[in-house]
Amino acid sequence: MNRFPGHNILPYALIFPTVAVIAVFLIVPFVQAIYMSFFRISPFGRVRVYTGLRNFEELLRSPEYLQSFLNTMLFCAIVIGFGLGIALFIAVLATQKIRGAAFYQVAFIWTYAMSPAIAGVIWALMFDPSVGIFTALLETITGFRLNFTTDAVGAFLLVTIASIWIMLGYNICFYIAGLQNVPNELKEAALVDGAGPWKAFWIITFPMLSPTTAFLIFVNTLYAFFMVFGMLDVVTQGGPGQATEFLVYKIYRDGFARLREGQAAAQSVFLFIMVASIAGFQIWTSTKRAVYSR
Amino acid sequence: MRSLRHVLITLLVTMLALGTFASAQQVVDFWHGMTGSRVAVLEQVVGGFNEIDPNMQINPVLMGTYEEGLARFLGAYPVGQEPPLIQIYEVGTQAMHDSGMIIPAYQIPERLGEEWDFGQYVGPIVRYYSRDGNLWSWPFASSTSMLYYNADHFRAAGLDPNKPPTTWDEVHEYGLALQAAGVVRDVIGFGWPDWQFEQQLALHDQPYVDNDNGRADHGTQVMWPTEFTDTLFAKWSAMAADGVWLYAGTEYSPNSGFTSGTLTMMLQSTSSLDGIMRTVGDDFEVRTAFIPRFNEYPRGNSIIGGNSLYVSDKASDAELRVIFEFFKYLARPEVDVFWHKNTGYFPATNAALKQLMDEGWFQESPNHLTAFLQILSGRTDNGNVVGSRIGPFVDARDHIRVAMEDASRGVAPRDALNRAAERINVLLQEWLEFAQ
Repeated sequence: MNRFPGHNILPYALIFPTVAVIAVFLIVPFVQAIYMSFFRISPFGRVRVYTGLRNFEELLRSPEYLQSFLNTMLFCAIVIGFGLGIALFIAVLATQKIRGAAFYQVAFIWTYAMSPAIAGVIWALMFDPSVGIFTALLETITGFRLNFTTDAVGAFLLVTIASIWIMLGYNICFYIAGLQNVPNELKEAALVDGAGPWKAFWIITFPMLSPTTAFLIFVNTLYAFFMVFGMLDVVTQGGPGQATEFLVYKIYRDGFARLREGQAAAQSVFLFIMVASIAGFQIWTSTKRAVYSR
Repeated sequence: MRSLRHVLITLLVTMLALGTFASAQQVVDFWHGMTGSRVAVLEQVVGGFNEIDPNMQINPVLMGTYEEGLARFLGAYPVGQEPPLIQIYEVGTQAMHDSGMIIPAYQIPERLGEEWDFGQYVGPIVRYYSRDGNLWSWPFASSTSMLYYNADHFRAAGLDPNKPPTTWDEVHEYGLALQAAGVVRDVIGFGWPDWQFEQQLALHDQPYVDNDNGRADHGTQVMWPTEFTDTLFAKWSAMAADGVWLYAGTEYSPNSGFTSGTLTMMLQSTSSLDGIMRTVGDDFEVRTAFIPRFNEYPRGNSIIGGNSLYVSDKASDAELRVIFEFFKYLARPEVDVFWHKNTGYFPATNAALKQLMDEGWFQESPNHLTAFLQILSGRTDNGNVVGSRIGPFVDARDHIRVAMEDASRGVAPRDALNRAAERINVLLQEWLEFAQ
């Protein structure tokens, strides 16, 4: 039984660095987190009491956790749904035969070059309740005065819109690439057969984009669950109340600021199961439904 | 071949020389949370120390906000990544005491076989950071809250800038007058809103928790809502409803509103004074006054904020020696005076205070005296007025902020505070389970 004839060690030596890094920085801490989730840990880690599943039970019964879960789900749905919708719309526009198309294609990618934390600083300043320029603009136009430091819905929307905005460049970039791969003959054939541009888009282009869409849904899910941390930390710190304390931010607050490591570990186990099952489901459906070959 | 060997030997000798040099030089990492204009001032102070003796070096590392610094220290210690010296805000006092990770400040000179006169530090700071009569952390950057106001706005609204509001009713009245005159729309913002709640309790001799406000022993439950907190929250709600009070975020967020002239007044730490004056420049006249209060309730005192310095109990004797020299250096009048003049933090020693008096500094810059006078003139004889000490303080403040955000949106005082009280009582109980 020799999987790599003529190469006994080399293949394993080559993948060793990757496996080692993953083991040390991902697997070990993850196993530790699972282990810790069964303990009640004192604020300074000196006392550990085995409590079995008590941390998990408490989480399931905690109204704050449920609220955080629902907020996170709503946030993800909006970020993915609107984010991809807007990105596709802009990508279609940017790939039309218009003057300066190349400029637009590059310009739309800029937002992704910015780290979420920096984007957060900018958005927080633009919507600052006392000196924010957009707060003033919004009020002049609509008469509504937004104070995202006290208004839960306002803060949620602000964070959501900013998150969509950051990811927009990335999504547009992939959709532009995807759109350029859609063969023109097919579209032209559909148009010749009497389909309008709208119909041609839905029956030809959109299904042809499904691998891109599947991939983007996956990446955006991870983004919405984990990578928004930097922005949340800068803009709202989870507030007001706990309106923007999404699951990943709650783990940080509970584990480090509130010094409850055991509960935070239990939350990270939950979060892992959640994201793993969502990702698994997405991969399963996308491999079944996405059109990969023409 | 020969030349290569030469090169190698030279290299080896240089490395050895560098090695011995490096071993004589003791560098101590110092985690701090001095953000904004205070970073440069801190770096100047530390730089001055590093110039004295090349073998004794302090390496300042900015660890983010106070809250992050505390969390990072508590997380780093069990895995041996903690710095020997760390700056912790007053909120972390009880947590640091209970952590078992520090050498209490008063034991540091003893361990080095030296003596140190702790009597040289000014009273309010010593009282706040002492436990059973001994200092547990090293006095450094202490502050308290005060009222900042824009004197030009007062004049524009026909108000006398020499008569800033002393009570909350006056703040409210002045606010309506400023709005009526069209000077500003929002009048007052609170920096560190959670801290302002604590200040109001202490200012009116009201306890936060039991057991002499957590100073005799761990607090077991909060001592509010009371009729006093009803009055306080009702007033704040009414001010918010009239648009006089704007809840403008946490920590230093409201500063931008004040310095840009969209707010006339602000409750904020004295430590923002120099930053604010530098930002405002000649745009308007910044004046300061005591924190507003309710005259129908007893008088207490404002409480110490800011931060103090802690030493890890894993610090080696060599590190401890550097740290102690650094502490001595910080106590030098000229260093302390420099720190005070450039940040707004209190002078920490009596010698520095005398020098400032002799120079006529407080006549020259009365804003630097306001908060100090406020805390020196208040009561000092019980836990309520010195300030509470709570284990889960960081967490408790989250709930206080929620209550204040609620109050600013018109939630009834009792409802807002009952929710916070319930949550914080659970936290206190959990802490008791483990702190003993």
